[in-house]
This record gives sequence, structure tokens and C-alpha cells, in this order.
Amino acid sequence: MTPALRADRLGKRYGHAWALREATFEVPSGAVVGLVGPNGAGKSTLLQMTIGLLEPTEGQVTVFGATSRANRADTLGRVSYVAQDHPLYREFNVSDMFRFGRRMNPTWDQALAERRMATLGIPLRRKIKRLSGGQQAQVALAMALAKRAPLLVLDEPVASLDPVARLEFMREVMAAVADTGLTVVIASHVVSELERICDHVIVLTGPRQGARAEVSGVVVQRTDSDRHSVAVVRTHPGRPDPAGWQAKPVGFEELVLAYLQHPASADLVPGQADPRPGSVAKAVSR
Amino acid sequence: MTWVTWRQHRSEAIGALAFVGALALLLLKVSGPMHAQFSQDGLAGCVAAGARSGGCLSEIQSFMNKFGFTFNQLLIALILIPGLIGIIVGAPVLASEFEHGTWRMAWSQTVPRTRWLVTKLVLLTGGLVALGAAMTVVFTWYRGPMDQLAGSLTWAAFDFEGVVLTAYLLCAFAFAVLAGLVIRRSVTAMVAAFIPWLVIRGVVDLELRPHFRQPLTLRLPRSANIRFGPNMVPPMTGHLGDNVLGVTTTASHHLVSYQPADWFWRLQFIEAGLYLALAVAALGAAVWLLHRRAT
Repeated sequence: MTPALRADRLGKRYGHAWALREATFEVPSGAVVGLVGPNGAGKSTLLQMTIGLLEPTEGQVTVFGATSRANRADTLGRVSYVAQDHPLYREFNVSDMFRFGRRMNPTWDQALAERRMATLGIPLRRKIKRLSGGQQAQVALAMALAKRAPLLVLDEPVASLDPVARLEFMREVMAAVADTGLTVVIASHVVSELERICDHVIVLTGPRQGARAEVSGVVVQRTDSDRHSVAVVRTHPGRPDPAGWQAKPVGFEELVLAYLQHPASADLVPGQADPRPGSVAKAVSR
Repeated sequence: MTWVTWRQHRSEAIGALAFVGALALLLLKVSGPMHAQFSQDGLAGCVAAGARSGGCLSEIQSFMNKFGFTFNQLLIALILIPGLIGIIVGAPVLASEFEHGTWRMAWSQTVPRTRWLVTKLVLLTGGLVALGAAMTVVFTWYRGPMDQLAGSLTWAAFDFEGVVLTAYLLCAFAFAVLAGLVIRRSVTAMVAAFIPWLVIRGVVDLELRPHFRQPLTLRLPRSANIRFGPNMVPPMTGHLGDNVLGVTTTASHHLVSYQPADWFWRLQFIEAGLYLALAVAALGAAVWLLHRRAT
């Protein structure tokens, strides 16, 4: 089956500096995938190459088997995108924004966009600047969904929203996934949010790394020091805990943080779903 | 895209319409007495006769004394207007998308950004041509009687009539679009576009225009009075509308260097062509740079 998204040794260089390099991974169709990484790890660069805003320096990224090329209608039409802070024209009202979407996208589904606004109670006549941040995010999401592209890319969609608006936004995303079998890629710093909704995460640790991990099943190492030490270790079922240590199952957030702090210790083969059969993650503390 | 462009620029369009209306009203009020005096004195007949009779000359003299300053010098106050309109419309086209982050939304729609920009530029250029033409009509009508006497080659007429005013406008617009892409801040881009526009305007007006074509030379006897300037009607050449650039005096003669009245359109097209070439170059660079941003 053609993956929804596939990066093959993808790299982007600005001048002499690599923003992203050797990123190789696959996202299966219908998956909801989180993209995490520290600032500057190349998340936005990766997303912009995916959606056709940016051309790769090396390697390629394909969306449902077709190579993404910057500034080309076929690439742009295959992906819906909600940029960070969900930018919209502030002086437009909601129906102006939808008319903009209709004029800019041949596949536009006006009924879908208007239905979403009716459900959410957002008046079509209201100016964007008079909407709350959560409502603006919902308008941006409605525009992305009305484009009817099979892949939805969200760049930090909830970073600027309050907890309730976050919940509502993610609920709408997941409802759309359930309705249409959409594939979703979400870049976010809010790791706990990703744990709730994502089937997979892609951890970008720096310009050279690019790896996808199943949410459960990857084991890496991490050490905190002083009186209390925590190590995330790769272990096997049945192996006894080391003397003087207390073992507990490792949490998703701990796992992701371990990756981000010690990318070198994460001996994960890029692009492979299951890093090592039989391995079990454990956080061990003394 | 037509609707998108209209929706984003309709307040500018309404503002431009209001501006032209206000300008027309103002100029109507200012020029009313001149138009009235011109027909009352029967100066059209003098112009038709080439302003040779003594009666005509004194009529013209008093007319010029009365209106010359207002209509030949005061127009300098308006010389910056095409540039200001151009930068106000041009700078935000790309800069405001960067300022508000909306470029990420606008350029990730199915219509590629270069087509988005080209369509916008074509439509905005069309609107500015219409605006420039309307302003030209207003100015030309306003100066009508004065043009018949003093000609249209002095800068107070030349810079506001024919096709150059629209070309100035488009040139400033193009500079500002490009500056908006490079600088990404509307107000800074306006300033950055206005300065080169103003410098070019100055250089062309003062240095280049007299040399677009080699001026003609008229040899006059030493006894002739040296007098030139926009308010000297008829000029030293004796032919209404000629533009005297300078006089060199030799031992036996005055050599009058001048542009004849019927060069008006030729000089207009040369100058407009210069500004339009600059405008096309700047807009082309903007489209190319926007395309190249992706790599």
C-alpha cells in the first residue's frame, strides 16, 4: 500500500547550514502522526517541503506516491495545511475567508466549511479579528478540511490556544479522521497532547536525525543524577531489575524527552517501525 | 483570484476614487477663474493667430502675470503624488503577507504563489493605469488654457500630462512590490522604494529629458531680448509652445537651444518607456525572487 507520506534521505540546506538532513521515514495512510523536536530541529522545514512551500536540497518527499515539488499546483492540492498561529486575513469575515478558499482551490467543499461553522456556532458574517483564538483556529481547520486533500499537516496548531480550545480543536481533527480516513501529521511541543491522539511519533533531534518510533516499544537511555537517578533502559522480558533500582514502565513523555536529550543513544534504525523485537522500555530509579 | 485581489484592495480602490474626486474638485475651484479669463479675453483667437499682434501680446502678458505662478510653479506641490500612491499600493502586496504570517496560508492553497502574484500584479496594474489616466485627464483639463499658451513641455505640464504620470505611478508601485518582498515590512518598503523613485525622477527631469533628443538651435541676432522660463509667452523662438532650454551668446549671435512644441508625444513616449522598463524589471525580479524563495 502506498504510504501517505514518505521521506527519503530528505535534506534542506540554507546557505551553509543544514536545517534538516538524512530524514527517512514513512507514514502509513490513515495514520495520525506526531512530529516532535526542539526548536531548530527542522520541523517547519520538513513540513514546508512536504506541502510544496519549499524545495528539498537533497532527497525527496512523496505524498501518496507523488513527489512533492515546491510551488506546483498538483503538490499544493494534495495537502491541506494549517500554519502555526493559524494565520487568516484579519479584515476578512468568515465567509470571505471561505470564498478565498473556494477561489484558490478547485476541490473546495463549501458545504463542509459552512456546516462546520454552523456546528461550532461561529457566525459567517463575523470578521476574523473579532473571533477568539480558538475560533480562528477552527476557521483555519475548516478551510484546510474543505480543501478535501487526503493529507492534513498541522504546524503547532494548539500552541497559542487555551486548554479548552486545544481540546476542542483536537476533537475536531479526530472527528475528521474518523469521518474521512484522513492522514494527519501534527508538529507540536505539547507531547502529552500527541500521546492522546497519535498512532506514531517522528522525533527530530537535529539536522542529521530523522526517525519514527511506535509510541510503545522503543527503548532508549537517559540518566538524571544527584540523589535521585532515573535511567530509561532497553531491557528484555524476564530480566531482573538491577540491585538497588526500582523499575516502572516508561511513559511516553519520558521516552520522547529521552530521545531529545540523548539523540546519539537512541540506536534506532531510521524509518523502521519496530526497532528491536522483544525489547521493553523501563524507567529505573534509585 | 480577481475577487481575492478586489477583496484585499477594495479599500484602496475606494480611497483612490475619493482622492481623484477631491483632486478634481480642488482643481476645478482653482482653475475656474483662469478658464473664465481665457475665454473672456478671447485668447483662443490669439493662439490660433500665433500671438503675433500687439494687442494679443499684452493680453497674454497680463494673463500670465495673473496665473503664471499658480499654474506653472505651484504644481510642484503635487509632483510626489504618483510616487506616494505607487508605494502605498505596492508595498503591502507582499510585505503585509509576511507581516501577518498569512503567506503560509495564502501560498499553501492550490493556486501556486507565482500565479497568485502575477494575477494580483496584472489586476493592480490595470487599476493603477485607470487611476493614472483619470489623474492625467483631470490635470490636463485643469491646465488646458495654460497649455495653449505656455505649451506642454515645461515640467509643470509635461510631468502631469500624456502618459508619463501613469508610468511614474507604475514605476513606484513596482519598486514597492519588490521592496516589500525583500524587506518584508510595509512601511520600510515604502521608504526604500520611494527614495530611488525620487532620485530617478530628479535625474530624468533635470539631466536626461533635455537630451532625449538633441535640442534644436535657433540663431538670433544680438539685439534680441534674452528671456525664457515658463511664463515667457511667446518664447524667444516666437512659436507658442516651444520649450527654451538655454541661450548661449556669441560675439555676433544668441544661440537658443530649444525643444519644439510638436516633440511632446515623442518625448512623452521616450520617458514613459524608460519608467515602464524599470517597472517591468522590478516586477519581473519580484516574481522571480518569489519563485526562487522555494529553493
